[in-house]
Amino acid sequence: MTNTWYLYLFFAAALVFAGLLGLLGKRNLIKLFIAIEVIGKGISLLLLSTGFAKANILTAQALVITYIVIEVSLVATALALIINVYRTTKSLDIRGLTKLKG
Amino acid sequence: MILQTALLIGLVLFSVLAIAFRDLLKSAIALAVSSLLLGIIFFGMDAPYAGVFEISVVAGLITVLFILTIALTKSGDEVRESRLVNWVFPLVFVAFLVIDALVMRGLLGKVPALASGAESGTFGDVLWRGRTFDLVGQIAVILAGVFAVLALFRKRDKHD
Repeated sequence: MTNTWYLYLFFAAALVFAGLLGLLGKRNLIKLFIAIEVIGKGISLLLLSTGFAKANILTAQALVITYIVIEVSLVATALALIINVYRTTKSLDIRGLTKLKG
Repeated sequence: MILQTALLIGLVLFSVLAIAFRDLLKSAIALAVSSLLLGIIFFGMDAPYAGVFEISVVAGLITVLFILTIALTKSGDEVRESRLVNWVFPLVFVAFLVIDALVMRGLLGKVPALASGAESGTFGDVLWRGRTFDLVGQIAVILAGVFAVLALFRKRDKHD
């Protein structure tokens, strides 16, 4: 069981790192948010695999479902913000937001 | 286990594609496929409720929200990404995979399993009785999201 856990940890870390690379390198706001979603996938995989390895799958499921609900709320708010940014700057380029500096 | 590993590889592959694709619509679809694979992985870990939520909410609803946003910001995919990043991203990612594999191999069996009591009851017992306050938090988060979207899309007054 523990060996299986390490396999899941390996892939969860890969997902989190891919998301971090995307956050660091991309300039499109929607792309940046997709990168955040990928990090979220890694975290939910980590939560559930740990619950699976420790025979606590029910609690892990409850946590993952809570996380998914939070994720939906976050996505709705963030995408609404992105649309408003697009209306203001006519672009999805993150560099355009530097004009908002005070 | 082979099926589970294949699904995990597919999950990482489609997630990386979601970040790497230039076309935003392709990115959103790749993200939906990776959510679908994650849902199937959850089913394989005896977590059907989390799997159903992942497939229906994340692969379904969130993808629709992404596609809607992409449609509303049509000219948004003209953002020029750095060429250097397109070259560096795969190299750094592969290097990380190698380091990750070595670290996990080194840790294998060294981290002691945390003591955990055996669970009893059904998923409903755990969710409704054990994690009651999570549900209160979920309701609060949903309400916060609804109010945030309403605030962001409210009509402008004539005085503004």
